[in-house]
Amino acid sequence: MTTPTTSSTTTLSVRSRSRSRLIAIIVYTWRSCFPPKRWATVLLPCAGALLFGLLARAINSEPDVAFANVAAEGIFGLAMPIAGLVIGDSVLGAEIRAGTFHFTWLSPTPTWQIIFGRWCGGSIVAIITIAPAAAFAALIASSPVSAVPAFLAAAVGSIAYIAIFITIGCLTRRTAVWSLAFVFLVERLLGAALTGIAQLSPTWESRAAFTGLLDDVPTRLQRNGIPEGAAAIVRLLIVTVVALVLANWRMKHLRLSGAAD
Amino acid sequence: MGRTVMSFPMPNLHPPVLDPAFVTDATVEVDAVSVWFGPKVALSELSCSFGPGVSGLLGPNGAGKTTLMRAMTGLVGVNEGSVRVDGRDPRRDRGVHARMALVPEDEAVPAGLTARQFVRYIADLHRVADRGAPDTALQTVDLFDEGDRPVDTFSKGMRQRIKIAAALVTDPRILVLDEPLNGADPVQRAQLILLFKRLGAGGRTVIVSSHVLNEVERLADRVIVLVHGRLAAAGGHRAIRDTMDDAPRHVLVRSDAGRRLAAALVGLESVTGVTFDSKRNGLVVQTLQAREFAIALPRLAKASSIRLVEVRALDDSLESLFRELVR
Repeated sequence: MTTPTTSSTTTLSVRSRSRSRLIAIIVYTWRSCFPPKRWATVLLPCAGALLFGLLARAINSEPDVAFANVAAEGIFGLAMPIAGLVIGDSVLGAEIRAGTFHFTWLSPTPTWQIIFGRWCGGSIVAIITIAPAAAFAALIASSPVSAVPAFLAAAVGSIAYIAIFITIGCLTRRTAVWSLAFVFLVERLLGAALTGIAQLSPTWESRAAFTGLLDDVPTRLQRNGIPEGAAAIVRLLIVTVVALVLANWRMKHLRLSGAAD
Repeated sequence: MGRTVMSFPMPNLHPPVLDPAFVTDATVEVDAVSVWFGPKVALSELSCSFGPGVSGLLGPNGAGKTTLMRAMTGLVGVNEGSVRVDGRDPRRDRGVHARMALVPEDEAVPAGLTARQFVRYIADLHRVADRGAPDTALQTVDLFDEGDRPVDTFSKGMRQRIKIAAALVTDPRILVLDEPLNGADPVQRAQLILLFKRLGAGGRTVIVSSHVLNEVERLADRVIVLVHGRLAAAGGHRAIRDTMDDAPRHVLVRSDAGRRLAAALVGLESVTGVTFDSKRNGLVVQTLQAREFAIALPRLAKASSIRLVEVRALDDSLESLFRELVR
């Protein structure tokens, strides 16, 4: 073994030619946060979304209406949140629990770059998995006009979820448990009753984005007090930004103990 | 009425450092630090400092070594007191991490990355643009040939070495190593000890914790001993021994008249026991007052016309120190 000969001066002189930290974090997120088992777990809700497309074919009504009903409950209410949960937990919470996140944290990288890089890495995974799955489900349901709205709503909804689950990952070690509680207790239970919560909920807002982008939408899927279509997408983007800002603030106060603790 | 101007001698604001827990050229300063996790107190009002060279951190399991290292690197915040690295707070100032690296005790390494990708990732985070730096770091820990192998398939010893490579690639001025020799084979241990000593001799602050006390003895210029989250002793291992007045010491004394010497030794106040060690062919003297005994023994030998062949402390190793400190 030899003593490293690189001096501080030499290192400083070449730092300007280094690869972007942000790109390094995104690449790391793809390579390390998604081992084969995680990919399989991400693909399960995608398969579920496709099955909901098949289910829509079995409903005895217009294909567009049938798919809208099934997608609102099955895809935006179940498959997309679960996919977002798995991805959001993978990019941060799982690494903190495994005790490997400090390799990233113990660097001079600004916390916003860590958060943003992880979110970008996770969002790209969502955009190539659950969003196309939602679009394919529309095609399977013989509702091609719903494919683009489903893709857009699933993409924006899942990246909002990932931002929220990253924030939860910064707040607690039991990311998966608290994320499930967020989806099923806060969004599904409270969000169904309280419009104020639904306005900030990726499930309700992505559903509203989807239905708002359709020409002919069942009236039962429309909910008063929630922006629809493009306005819902903007709302989801605002939720995403706020969640990332919260995560960035919280990351500065993380207490990183080892995997065994 | 005129004012009377009185002058007072100014106190010396920078007294010379005498406490062995502190160094004059400190790069890491720990000031009255307490850390607790719920009801468990991990560190209690601990104060010490570290400077260039190799410092050993010793203590039994649960003594607070790992927590201290995490506090020094900013991984955990302190509940009371302060930690300063180059005068900066490692929790608030992320620029500190450009000069500091931690090799954690945990075996966990990122999944899905090869050794080269892992070291390259750390280099990228530190904006080390030298594309050859990761390979140099891998060569330093003898893992160059394993560079394309996934790190999660590595053995325990290899994982330790890849983490050391990841730390070295950033060219840190302060290197914190938590049980870095775990899992390494004897040859690798010797090589790593040599590496750490070279890094320390090169002006870096190297802080190493270990349970393998004879290795720390070979490795560290200075030792900080923690017991139950508190500072138990500090300094060179011989200096620590000198501070332990109430700890018994065993001294081997060989002479040309063992029986006569044994009878004479029993009369010394500083001697609490004398036994004959047939393996060493000499007397083993137990004393609680080592200094007094060291002065009295030659006088006694001279007065009794006994020639001393060998006088040697038997328990002047860190191993025995540690046992006594944690007893």
